[in-house]
Formats: sequence, structure tokens, C-alpha cells
Amino acid sequence: MTIRTLTRYVILLAVLSFAAPAAAQSDGEAIFSPVTWERLLNAADEPHNWLMYNGTLDSQRFSGLDQINRETVTRLTLKWTHQIRQLDRNETTPLVVDGVMFITESPSNLVAVDAVNGQPFWRYDHPLPGDLRICCGRNNRGVAILDETLYMSTLDAHLVAIDGRSGSLLWNREVANHESGYSKTAAPLIVKDQVVTGIAGGEYGVRGFLDSYDAASGELKWRTYTIPGPDHPDNQSWAGDSWRTGGSPTWLTGSYDPELNLVYWGTGNPGPDWNGDVRMGDNLYSDSVLALDGDTGEMSWYFQFTPHDEHDWDAIQIPVLADIEVDGEARKAMLWANRNAFYYTLDRETGEFLLGKEFAHQTWAEGLDANGRPIRRPGTKPSTEGTLVAPIAGGGTNWWSPAYSPRTGLLYVNAFDGEALFFNREEEYSEGDTFLGGGTETPLPIDNYHSAIRAIDPTTGDIKWEFPITPRSRSGVLATAGDLVFAAGADGILFALDAETGEPVWHIPLGGPVNAQPMTYAVSGQQYVTMPVGNVVYTFGLGN
Amino acid sequence: MRYLPAQIALLAVVVSGTSPFTATAQDAETNPYTSRIDLRMGRRVFQAQCASCHGLNARGGNESVGPDLTTGRFQRAESDGELYRVIRDGVQGTAMIGTGTDAPEQELWQMVTYLRSLTEVADAPPGSTATGQQLFTGAGSCADCHMVNGDGGRRGPDLSNIGDDRAPDDLRTSLTDPDAEVHPRWWTMRATNGSQAHEGLRMGEDSFSFRIMDENEQLRSFSKYGDWAWERSERSTMPAYGDQLSTRQLDDLVAYLFSLRSDP
Repeated sequence: MTIRTLTRYVILLAVLSFAAPAAAQSDGEAIFSPVTWERLLNAADEPHNWLMYNGTLDSQRFSGLDQINRETVTRLTLKWTHQIRQLDRNETTPLVVDGVMFITESPSNLVAVDAVNGQPFWRYDHPLPGDLRICCGRNNRGVAILDETLYMSTLDAHLVAIDGRSGSLLWNREVANHESGYSKTAAPLIVKDQVVTGIAGGEYGVRGFLDSYDAASGELKWRTYTIPGPDHPDNQSWAGDSWRTGGSPTWLTGSYDPELNLVYWGTGNPGPDWNGDVRMGDNLYSDSVLALDGDTGEMSWYFQFTPHDEHDWDAIQIPVLADIEVDGEARKAMLWANRNAFYYTLDRETGEFLLGKEFAHQTWAEGLDANGRPIRRPGTKPSTEGTLVAPIAGGGTNWWSPAYSPRTGLLYVNAFDGEALFFNREEEYSEGDTFLGGGTETPLPIDNYHSAIRAIDPTTGDIKWEFPITPRSRSGVLATAGDLVFAAGADGILFALDAETGEPVWHIPLGGPVNAQPMTYAVSGQQYVTMPVGNVVYTFGLGN
Repeated sequence: MRYLPAQIALLAVVVSGTSPFTATAQDAETNPYTSRIDLRMGRRVFQAQCASCHGLNARGGNESVGPDLTTGRFQRAESDGELYRVIRDGVQGTAMIGTGTDAPEQELWQMVTYLRSLTEVADAPPGSTATGQQLFTGAGSCADCHMVNGDGGRRGPDLSNIGDDRAPDDLRTSLTDPDAEVHPRWWTMRATNGSQAHEGLRMGEDSFSFRIMDENEQLRSFSKYGDWAWERSERSTMPAYGDQLSTRQLDDLVAYLFSLRSDP
């Protein structure tokens, strides 16, 4: 046994001793023990908890729970619901810590409930100014936790720290000036003693960045701009001063590899979205994944999926980290189904492009070259009269989390096959106003197009199976050790698929729009599956 | 600097956060900004602030499913003043976020002007409304499938307010080329199970089931993963009338259909 393995066992024992009260929770027992960095490092070892936005630092969204499986799933019944007070897009992924669930609500609120019955412990309502700049709804996607403190992004571009036991505000930091077009919606990521968090505002001509804050004090530790300044040679990828208003935000949550000490984060579209003529060049590092040093934020490497994007295809997806074999060689890989409708397997140590293939309908590229750079088709640029291109601005997939099952070796992705007319126009930048340079329009009602859960083999890029979704889906995916894949349609039907074959094994209509992803946890030996639908958070478990 | 009385009055107004214009405009129903340049400016502001939900040309149908604003009817507003207030204040409990009270009134009114320009009633087409109505209910057999103000069939869209939603050219295309644009509600689903078969209009469909109105106007529901095989046709069930009706008859029918409006 190596020192490293021994250390891991010691940590696991410590974790199990912390987790024990939750596993044996009964009336009146104290619950919720501190979530240390060691617990976060080994989150997969306590699958009854869901300790971060994507479950584990590698963001596989795979749960080791298997009580709900292909044989038992038909016994799923509703256990409880939580009604969200304000109506808007419900995009939360709750956390569960030792029997307590933390749910973010629209617009920037947080509630702690008993994960067994949904009844509240406390709530925190964040006060917001009346002049928010938000492109896409008043929403929040979730929180991060370290020890006993929760960290939440707010729509006024602040980061707040909230006491996990009482809901009291501990500190409140302005990350950026919301009046300039910045906002925040994504769950932060804990890295050691830091809160790593991104920014939104790609439709307002902001200059994107990724920040790290000291978890205890809220002081800024590092900031890495996603558009290099004029002292950096990559700044030449922006014509003139266009880098100043080039967008490239970081509006979702990233991943972390503790062995490499690298933080991985996707970046959004360059601005203005649809008029690339005013920002000629590749527009680095928009539509890219960045690998940053976990202590300093210094860039180790980047990979740009869509150079000089003019279709709003943000690389705002979850970096899924998995160790797989590609062409007979063991690789520390990153799996990425991109909004531009291509799937990529990258080497996460170096950023090397290993393979890539189309996974959703697209008409803009002939394919990818040997370095993974797209080979553009002519005539796909937005125009004043409208250019028909697939995928739509919303992409072949979007921010919805994929899932990877180490049991099947498959990446499960919500894919969308659609097309849109892309328009461009001239537009002057004005601070705090939208900066789009055009727009899009779907030629047919959006329900004419279809989604599918596609199972991608990351060693080849081939699609092993697909489950068609009618009319479409805006849901993320969850994979479990019960060999199930959970997802939902935009019409509110939550369903479970056989992870091996894609065959549907259970479903229930929940009657509301879906803009979130399922998660799972367990308390007192009972496994639950939670899915936000409409303005309700539904939780299911096995019936007797 | 010495202040003149008028300047003092203006300063007081500014400090209190209310301008004389604001006080009147908030209650006004008449749009003071209706010139062509106002329309252009309104379009510009709309495309910057509203297009992400309502589509670049306000036809909706985008990812964020903001409604189509070109149909001639607004769900939450009839007058210009009401439209102004919806744009400014939003609609509580929905994804419609207002611009807020800080937005310049001129821009808000210019957006009203732009939206009104999208819904201006087209010129009345040539043709006789009365003759068209006779054709609709008589020889054309349109009423066998289409309902108008409570009379008619169920196997096609209710046309009681079709003039609100369709321009004359669109109506003519629907008559001569019904497959040009078929709303998914009017697609056809067919379910078969051994010797049994049911075909009908697609009332609803999801990943696991679909619902139809069959040829006998019975409502039926089927599981996609049960005992029934199924297929979907995205063509219209309506015949093309280009060869069956004369140009004049088409004119009359279009004139009648275009006259069918909620506020004739």
C-alpha cells in the first residue's frame, strides 16, 4: 500500500465517521457535519451526499447509489415537493449534505430543507437592485459548500457566503459592477480553501474573467481574464480594441483535477454575438476550455472549440474528466460535447486534441482538422437577410450537464437537432446595454425540432445509442450505479433509461417546463431522485 | 451660480426623481413618438433588448419561447399606454422582465411604435366577403372541417379570428399550398395493432405517448412503447384548392377569411 493509498483510506475512514449520523438518521438526531476539503476531494466515496454542483470534482455526474436500478425503478413514487415562491426559470441543482438539502431559487435566494420531507430549516433572500442586466431569465443554478458555509452567485454580480446552519449572511463581495452588464448565476467551485467562480454578461460587451476568493474572508486571491490584455501576444487575435468588449464570459461551473492541480473552465461567446466583422481574428480565449493552475490561476493551456464564433456557440459546458484509453493509450481525458454540435476528447494534461466527431445536426463545418480546429463551410456567416445554419444559437447542446458512467464507459448528452436564421447588423457598444450585433430566428416553431439523449463512446466519438425526445429537452443528465440515466423533456416528463441500451424503463409527467438536471442522494438507507420541474422541486424514492 | 425660478423648479423636479414629462407620460395613452425615425429607433432598441426572447423580428419561436408579437394581438395590452407599461414594468410572475423605470420614455414609446408597425392591418384584399362566406359554408365545404364562431367542424383549425393572425397572402398560400406551413397540432398520427388502425389529428405528443382525434372525432391516447406501432405525417390533411377554385373564388374566400377578426 502506498503512502498515497494509505492516506486515502485514512481520509475515507474519517469521512465515514462524519457521514455516519446521516446514514443512520432518525428523529431528533443532529445532522449536517462540516464539509471539509477532504470530503470534497473524495465526494464519490459518500454517494448518499451530493456535495457540489456536478456531484464530484471530475463532474461526471455519476452517483454510486444503486438502490434505484433497472429492476426497482418502476417502484419510484413521489416523496415530497418544494414550491418555489417566485416564478421564473427553475435551473437549480440542489446540494445534499447529511440529510439537509440546499435549493437555490429564482432570482437569487437559497433555502435549506430536510431532505427526507422537504420541510424548511431556513431561507436566505438576497436583496437585488432594480436595474439588473440579465440576458436569459432571473435564475440561479446552485451553491458550493466548504465546511459549514455556502457560497452563492447573485444576479447583481455578487458572491455571498451564507452560514449553512442558520442562513445568515457571512460576507457579500461585489465581483463586478452589474451596471456594466455583469451578472452571476452559476454555482461556484471549491478548490482547497478557495471559491472559484465565473461571471456572466456575454451579451453586454463585458470582458470575461474567472475569479478565486478566499473562502474564509472573501478576499480576491486571483483573477484570470478570458481575453488577454494588450501585453499578451494572444491579444492580437482581436482586431483593434475589440478585446475590451469581447465577452468570453464564464457563466457555468468548472471542474478540478487534484493530481494535476488544474482548474478547467469553459468560456462563452465573443461579443458582439453575431457580428464578427468588428472583432476579426480568432478571438482568444472565447469558446474555449481553459486549464488554470489551482493556486494562482495561471494558464497552463487552452483549447478553442470555435475560433471567431459568429453564432453564439458558447463553450459553456461542463468539463467532464475521465481516465480512459484512446488508441490503446491510457489518457487523462476531458470529454466535451460542445454547443457547436461537435464532440471532443482532449488530453487534460496538455490540451491535446485526441478525437472529435459531430454528435448533433450541423451544417457549418466540413469537420475538424488534425488539431481539432473546425473546417468552416462557406456561406454560413450571419447576414442582413438571414443565413440558415445548424445548429441553432442554443446549440447542439447547451449548458445542461452531461453525465459519464465509468460502468458503461459512455458519456450521456442531451443533444438537439435544429436550425436557425442568423442575422447580423452594425451596433455601437454602450456600457450596460446589450451588445449583440444581430439575432436569430427559427424558421419553424421550435417544437418542430427534436432532442435526444445520445450515448457517446469517448474513445471513438461514436454514438452508441440514442433516445429521441419529443418535442425537445432542456434538461441535464444523471447517471447512476443502478445503470440508469435520468433526464427530462421540456414538457416536464422525467424519465429513466437503461444506461447500456437507452431503453426507457420509467417515466412520469410532471407538467411544467424543465430547465435543470436530476440529482440523487440517500438518507437513512433510502435513495432519492430530485428533479426541478416548473416551479417545483420534486423528490422521488422507492415505494414499499 | 444664481438660480432662476424656473431652474429651481426644474432642479426640484430632478431631485425628486420625477420629471413633468414622466408624470404625464406614465398615464398617457397617446404615443408622442410615431415618426419613421421613431420606428427605426424602436426597432433598434427592441432588437437589442427584447430579441433574445421574442426573436429578432418579434415573431417569437426562439429558444426562450417569448410569444410572437406580430399577430396583431397582445395578451396583456390593448392600448398604446398599456403596451408602454408592459414594456416598462414587465409581467409579474412570468419571464417577461420590464425595462424598468430608468429606461428613457422616448425609447419605450419608440418600441411601442415599432411593435404597432408589425401589426398594422394589411390592406383589404380584393374579393367579396359575402361571396366568400357563401363559398366557405357552401360549395367550398370549408365549414365541414373549420369552425367559425361556434359553427363548423373540428378537423381543421378554428378560423374565428384567422384575420388577426394571417395576412391575405398567407391565407392564399394556405388555400393553394396547404403543406407549405403545417402547425404540429395539425399533423397526422397513425397507430396500428394487428388488424386495428386509428389515424387522426395530432392533439399532443411527447416522448412516451401521443393523443389524436380520429376520423370520427373520437379522442384517443396511445403509448409509444405499448402494443401499438405508430407513425407521424407532417403533411396537411387539407386538399389544395388552387385547381378547384377560380382566381375570383380564391379572392372571395381570402376576403372572407381576412374579415374574420376579433375586432373587425
